[in-house]
Amino acid sequence: MVTIDKEKREKALQILKNSNDSKLLTHLNACVRCGLCAGSCMYYLAMKDAKFIPARKVDLVTSIYRRYLTTQGKLMPALFNAKDLDDKMADEMVDLLFGGCTMCGRCVKHCSIGVDISYIVKKGREMLAAMDMVPKTLQSTVDAAINTGNNMGIPTEEFVDTIQWMEEELVDEMQDANARIPLDEQNKHIFYTLNPREPKFFPLSITAMAKVFYAAGESWTLSSKNYDVTNYGYFNGNNAEATQIARNLYDEVKNLHADVLVLGECGHGSRANRWEGPNYLKKEYEFENITAVELMAQYIREGRIKLDKSLNKELMTIHDPCNLIRNGGLLKEMRFVINSAAENVVEMNPYGNDNFCCGGGGGKLAMSEYNERRLKIGGIKAEQIKKTGAKVVITPCHNCVDQLVQINHTYKLGVQIKTIAEIVADALIIDKKQ
Amino acid sequence: MATLEIDGRTFEVDGDGFLTDPSLWNEDVAKLFAKADGIELLNDNHWAIVNVIRKNFEENGNAPMVRTICKETGLKLKEIYDLFPLGPARGACRVAGLPKPDGCV
Repeated sequence: MVTIDKEKREKALQILKNSNDSKLLTHLNACVRCGLCAGSCMYYLAMKDAKFIPARKVDLVTSIYRRYLTTQGKLMPALFNAKDLDDKMADEMVDLLFGGCTMCGRCVKHCSIGVDISYIVKKGREMLAAMDMVPKTLQSTVDAAINTGNNMGIPTEEFVDTIQWMEEELVDEMQDANARIPLDEQNKHIFYTLNPREPKFFPLSITAMAKVFYAAGESWTLSSKNYDVTNYGYFNGNNAEATQIARNLYDEVKNLHADVLVLGECGHGSRANRWEGPNYLKKEYEFENITAVELMAQYIREGRIKLDKSLNKELMTIHDPCNLIRNGGLLKEMRFVINSAAENVVEMNPYGNDNFCCGGGGGKLAMSEYNERRLKIGGIKAEQIKKTGAKVVITPCHNCVDQLVQINHTYKLGVQIKTIAEIVADALIIDKKQ
Repeated sequence: MATLEIDGRTFEVDGDGFLTDPSLWNEDVAKLFAKADGIELLNDNHWAIVNVIRKNFEENGNAPMVRTICKETGLKLKEIYDLFPLGPARGACRVAGLPKPDGCV
């Protein structure tokens, strides 16, 4: 049990006192309580409990702001709905801002005046982080990334062993002894990144992407030390830790002198590196910084890879990762790649920018504390999938993949879950180089 | 702390249903956890995987790479995914009584 003393409270309030952050002040004070956000939130829809309404989550942070930083709130807190940041309030914040929100941003799109609700939730998480109140399991994922260079604590030699194994598989499959998965090579065009769950448990997506690189004749490399595309510092609210993790990747791209950092299929990792990375490091990146989805789109447009979509005949549907689509702008680009690689694609309802989160966003998959809720809100995604009648769900995010695998099992959907590299690799026509 | 009840036995587990105290694990626990995941009977291949995971945990304190599981059991990746539909982490490691691995699993 954490007790909020004056010192802790002061640290949390510092987040709200940041006078450089005009966005924070505007969005903290703009909610008009119209309630439109309620029906957009998976938690509210699945739990039918008013505490999950997004405006209520914003109000937790706002009521603290009013209590300590406005004159009315200081003098007459009860009249102005200003609340103390005490133990009870802090527990409620943990429960709702870490445990009751995936920061998917669907409510933001539905908000009548455009309050960036997930941004406020993130500020609330920063306040909790300042008070050492990050859920243990989430923090241990961040600690692993900082202490070992990857969020699963995979030792380098075991990683290298797995990559060599996948290289052997690639050589067999391509029947070409020169097929490679390069490690730690300098002056390559592309520096590719992975979600550690790939080498640890699901390495076939590594071979799939290697096959795409092979077909495109790309000059690329992986790093054996800093290959992790994720940044759970984006979720735990500790910006110093997020910065450290982003810097490790940035430094490694510089060390290996690559021209382009390609972010593997990971929603929050793409966001944290591509959009937040330069903010964390307070500098523009000297190299290009794109997602694997965009890279594959380029290959297709430039004719560097050729696809035969009749090789993917099954009925497939698309799950839109929040941080790549709604919050990342890849709506059309992702569909261009998928429709170039698969013959029979049907949309969910709703789809695209209005699609529901998988239920595992916001760091949820790392937080065992809220497993039951995660699977319950996942029921909404399960219904969406079921209604499409699809046999395969495609999504460019390994975090979504894991949640979808669990939903598939829990709700007995009988579907397969694939990344985009996997369906593109399955559709490749490889020119045999002599 | 959550509890999980299977066939009248109660286990202390984390929110994800992983055993809280890995030292309480034994073969009966494995069978019960597998059953809860819809695996009625653990066959020789299931046991081979569980034993490699268990051994790795006892020696190194963590879950092995799927590479190690393949190498030591002689099974192919696809066979492992078929045997444990929830995957090596949420499927096999849970049956083997390990704590939940960190990260996106």
